[in-house]
Amino acid sequence: MGKTKLLKIVLVSFVSLAFVFTFSFVGCAQVEEVIEEPIEDIIEDPIEDIIEDPEEEPVPDEPDVEPMEVPEEITIGFSVWTMEFTFFQRVERGVRDAAEDYGFEYIMMDQQSDATKMVEDINTLVGMGVDAISITPVDPGAIGPAVQNARDAGIPVVCADIGFSGPVNALIISDNYLGGQLAAEYMHELLADAPDHSWEFGLGNLSPEWTYARQRGEGFRDKAEELGYEIASELIVDPPDAEGGFDTMQQIMSAAPDIVGAFFCSGREAVGAARAVEAAGEDILVVGYNGDPEELLAIQDGILAATILQLPYEIGYQSVEILYEILVEGAEYEQEEIGAPVELVTPENLDDIAAMIEETTGISAFE
Amino acid sequence: MVELQARSLRVKIAQQWGSLGLPFLLVAVVILFSFLSPVFRTQFNFLSILRFASFIAISAVGMAFCIMAGEFDISVGSMMALVGVLGASFVPVIGGFAAVLTTIAISSFLGFVNGIFITKLKIPAFITTLGMMFVFRSLAYIYTDNVSVYIDNDFWLYMGNGRVLGIHFPIILMVLCFVGGYLMLRKTPFGRYVVAVGTNAKAAELSGIHVDRIKIAVFVMVGFFVGISSVVISANMGVANPGLLGQGYEFQVITAVVLGGTLLGGGNGSLGGALLAALILGSLRNGMNLMQVSSYWQQVVTGSVLIFAVAINRLRYTLMGQEA
Repeated sequence: MGKTKLLKIVLVSFVSLAFVFTFSFVGCAQVEEVIEEPIEDIIEDPIEDIIEDPEEEPVPDEPDVEPMEVPEEITIGFSVWTMEFTFFQRVERGVRDAAEDYGFEYIMMDQQSDATKMVEDINTLVGMGVDAISITPVDPGAIGPAVQNARDAGIPVVCADIGFSGPVNALIISDNYLGGQLAAEYMHELLADAPDHSWEFGLGNLSPEWTYARQRGEGFRDKAEELGYEIASELIVDPPDAEGGFDTMQQIMSAAPDIVGAFFCSGREAVGAARAVEAAGEDILVVGYNGDPEELLAIQDGILAATILQLPYEIGYQSVEILYEILVEGAEYEQEEIGAPVELVTPENLDDIAAMIEETTGISAFE
Repeated sequence: MVELQARSLRVKIAQQWGSLGLPFLLVAVVILFSFLSPVFRTQFNFLSILRFASFIAISAVGMAFCIMAGEFDISVGSMMALVGVLGASFVPVIGGFAAVLTTIAISSFLGFVNGIFITKLKIPAFITTLGMMFVFRSLAYIYTDNVSVYIDNDFWLYMGNGRVLGIHFPIILMVLCFVGGYLMLRKTPFGRYVVAVGTNAKAAELSGIHVDRIKIAVFVMVGFFVGISSVVISANMGVANPGLLGQGYEFQVITAVVLGGTLLGGGNGSLGGALLAALILGSLRNGMNLMQVSSYWQQVVTGSVLIFAVAINRLRYTLMGQEA
């Protein structure tokens, strides 16, 4: 008897499912023309909600867009590594704001840190017939064939940060080498007050696959050696997170007990390293790289000496500027690397920097 | 008499889910998105869906055999990374064709190792393959020093990007793998043995089947198909990345097999179901992407579809009077 009931339930649910689907087809068929409208709503609405004050949008350094040139139907596709981290949220915000400022339609896809999905998304954007693509790739080595597809279809491609492979038009990436140099210079400045300090530094580097990000370490090393320091211990931070930074710093301290400062090439790792210094009760300057909220909080708390701030919002914004130049102004770009500015954040300028970040991105620098 | 008729009707309906339920779901998803998005119904997009579904579906053939035999393999993602970087690094030395064959041979061998551990050392499949998941991934990092291996060989790249009469080569490979798998499952004694072992290993043993051999064989099959997928996916990206290749892959493959109607406990299963499931998952993902559905909601939908399908499946086996 129980089974007869089950059978009925199955039959009923099948029939109702069939109805639901049928109605959704019929419904859609009738409003097929207008269907674009609600889709737009889905895209726009939640985004508008997040933005705290969409009115005043300071356009960084290039406000003079000729309005007559802007063709309505240009669509920009953006494929982002993941929306889990603040850094990428800011890149995305920059791309989106720029698209809006130039009057472009905007489509975003989230790779969810999955290289296969990244390739799939780029192909989907090509299939959708977007006019230009900006990518922040989870695996820059793996975009080659997909970029080739896009270029074959006449779609220009720009990478916003990380790196690239294949025939992209341009890569916009922080001036990592300069950032490393700034870190060494700042540490040297701070140490000037203590004349008989040791001349040894530690370096928490990134694994070899991060070709571009490793330039931070090179810049630091070159500048430090130029100023008369020695890199007494260099280790790759593994795993690349705060805990890894903590462990690595402990190892650096035991390998080179006399160091007076350490540079870590990434944000959370640097905070972990600074905590290891604090836990050991040592007096070692730690400087990080990125400008993540964790780092800024650590600078505020006096744990981290400084960090090199990347400007992800500007990187995202700039990627659309380049695409605008290519699409509208007919500019030629082929595999060009364009350096984006970096800034030194110290306890002295922390408040100004935080205010600047909040003003451009609409997101608090500490969240 | 009435009771008997009701029962036979029940069984009929229940049996039909396997052959009708999933196609119905696939058609529903495709029609729904075709109405919602003009891009979805383009030929380019359909081919794109098929191509990315094939990445999951090819490995799902091996996994379906494995799960039907009552076993399980969660090391496939890491295995894919390890054999991908190994094979890709051989290309300059032995050429593309030999490297592809070597890749498939190595992954079959790794599957064999898994099978030996599970049957001869009696370590449960979950533990063995969990351990191997870490071992394979780490070996991939160690071998490459965490530097991606770029692939610059026409034959290898053809495996992921080539076209035959406008159809991407991975799609053709997927069809071949399924036809081969189907014939093996339904037309050979081996197929019957796999189902017998999965249904009741003791009984199979008593009826003279070498249970261990069958189990080792299904793990070799998992490795074989993962090897093919590894070549196809790395070719599609032009690079074998030790950290990112096959990340989260095991769950995508298992999801397709389970959604396809194969019971996790072994025994009954369906290869066609797994293929349809891979297509459903691919269409859902593609359609939701086109509709700009947030990636978090996409995962909610995928998870719900899986649970819904397994619930129906359970009901179906209850109706057929079998344990699910």
